[in-house]
Amino acid sequence: MADPVFLGLSVITIGSAIAALELRSLVYGSIALMGTLGGIAGFFLLLDAPFVALFQLAVYVGSIAVLILFTVMLVRRELIFKKIEDGRRRLAGIGLMMAVMISLGAVFLDSGIKGIETDEPPVDFREIGADFVVYYWPALVAMALVLAGSVTGALVLARREDTENGGGTG
Amino acid sequence: MSVIAPDFKLSEFIKSLFDNAFWGLMLMVLVGLPAIMMVLFVIEMPVIDGELLTPFLAFTWLADPTRTLPIVHAFMATDMFRVMVFPGFGFAALLAAGTIFVERKMLAKLQLRVGPFYCGKVEGILQLMGDGLKLISKEIIIPAKADKPLFWAAPVLFVATAAAFVSLIPVAPGWVVADIDMGLLAVFAIIGFFPIITILSAWSANSKYPFIGGIRALFQMVSFEIPLILSLLGVVMVTGTLSLSGIVESQSSFPWIIFLPIGAIVFFITMLAELERIPFDLPEAESEIVAGWLTEFSGMMYGLVQLGTYLKLYAFAALFTVLFLGGWHGPMIVPPFPHEIITEGIVMGPVSAQIPGLPLFTQEMLNGALWFVLKTVGVIFFILLPRGVFPRIRIDMLLGLGWTKLIGLCFVNVFIALGLLYAGVLGPGGLQ
Repeated sequence: MADPVFLGLSVITIGSAIAALELRSLVYGSIALMGTLGGIAGFFLLLDAPFVALFQLAVYVGSIAVLILFTVMLVRRELIFKKIEDGRRRLAGIGLMMAVMISLGAVFLDSGIKGIETDEPPVDFREIGADFVVYYWPALVAMALVLAGSVTGALVLARREDTENGGGTG
Repeated sequence: MSVIAPDFKLSEFIKSLFDNAFWGLMLMVLVGLPAIMMVLFVIEMPVIDGELLTPFLAFTWLADPTRTLPIVHAFMATDMFRVMVFPGFGFAALLAAGTIFVERKMLAKLQLRVGPFYCGKVEGILQLMGDGLKLISKEIIIPAKADKPLFWAAPVLFVATAAAFVSLIPVAPGWVVADIDMGLLAVFAIIGFFPIITILSAWSANSKYPFIGGIRALFQMVSFEIPLILSLLGVVMVTGTLSLSGIVESQSSFPWIIFLPIGAIVFFITMLAELERIPFDLPEAESEIVAGWLTEFSGMMYGLVQLGTYLKLYAFAALFTVLFLGGWHGPMIVPPFPHEIITEGIVMGPVSAQIPGLPLFTQEMLNGALWFVLKTVGVIFFILLPRGVFPRIRIDMLLGLGWTKLIGLCFVNVFIALGLLYAGVLGPGGLQ
């Protein structure tokens, strides 16, 4: 039960999540958020899903966290955040979170997940890919269309008219 | 009497030499040897010729020429050797050092200068060592209002990330530090860390030039990561694997650059942008913003960032070799190890010396490493070349290039790969 790697990862993940909420400095907060997301990647590695873990690192730590850092550094913080110091709101938030966590945990523990014992090897990502192409193809096609649409949209947004007609030697 | 050091006395100098030798020996005997013994008792010792190497006999065996090579063999099989010496840090740092020297010398020749000239007498070959010593001995200055923890951590993190990238590169058959099944994905994940470290170090310096440079670096790296990933999808499609060793093995008859030239060109351009090299060196544009995000680094911190930059350059060039140029594959040009040395030993007149444990490396490994290094050095040359040829481009041109042209070319490349697969040229039943 008490796997030291699991415990260490849990401490890192939860600790940096709390730090991300509580730190005054926004940049350190976003670094702590990276710690949380990296810890979740570690959980995926423990669950024999390195494919998901690496995507978690590449997408969440590599891109989402960068976006957050970017926003924090480029925008003056008074414009996006108004400080509300209110002890009761904070208590209410913690209480709400505890209630949600406890109920979710109760549901998980009650669902018999502890009784599952499996020695099967981890699922190969090629099988997941094959499943996607064969069984879940409508979802795959829908995702592909959405992504193609968003890439095209990004290309259209990134096109600048004024550089085309030779101006702009400022 | 010398003018440079008027108080110099030869007798004092010789006395100081003897003093140093005495204290060196003393410390070695009293502290060094016991420390080595303690380490030897803790670490796991190898079994050599069916006999466990005990810590008591380690020094004796090392001095015994018939047993030295087996010990070296056992050491070469350890992970420590892989990480520190051959496919890992030592090898990469050596290539990186060579790159720095060649870059300076070649740029000088391109611009009709002489370049490094005096250090080491022969064409300034010791210039790099001199620069390194200078950087180590210089004071590290931290800006007064810098964010100190982040500012200290950034160079170390930069080198660590570059070293993690290096560890994924397969150099010769079986010679790779971390041979994971999803090497290419790990490469994408690691590349994603560079912009974070850059922007954090730029922000933590609390100075305008680094911040401008960092923001530029972030723009550039994030927008060029997308064509970088897309340009490699073609290779993944035709090989059907994400493992870098697997991709190299799939190129035994032909390199992928023959079938996917557009992907290779796009990857090369994005590589230049990720490495912040001319014509994409906006983050360090020295004529506009001093040295960009490196402005506030001094002493060995700057040295570490430089080391990380060149490790990254080697890793990207090696990745290009692995993905498009066939990695370690090439005609066998290394001669086989002479057999009679193994069976009869080295015969010199009446004396013959049997040396067990030879050969140290197999012929395949030497040949693979040789071809890999040749190809990688060629790619590095083409990365260095634009610096003497092209001017720096504007940031809007850079972003336009990344977001419109390169992504479009990537999709063309993906469709070429798909066409080759569906036409049966490659894949099952095809050329392979």
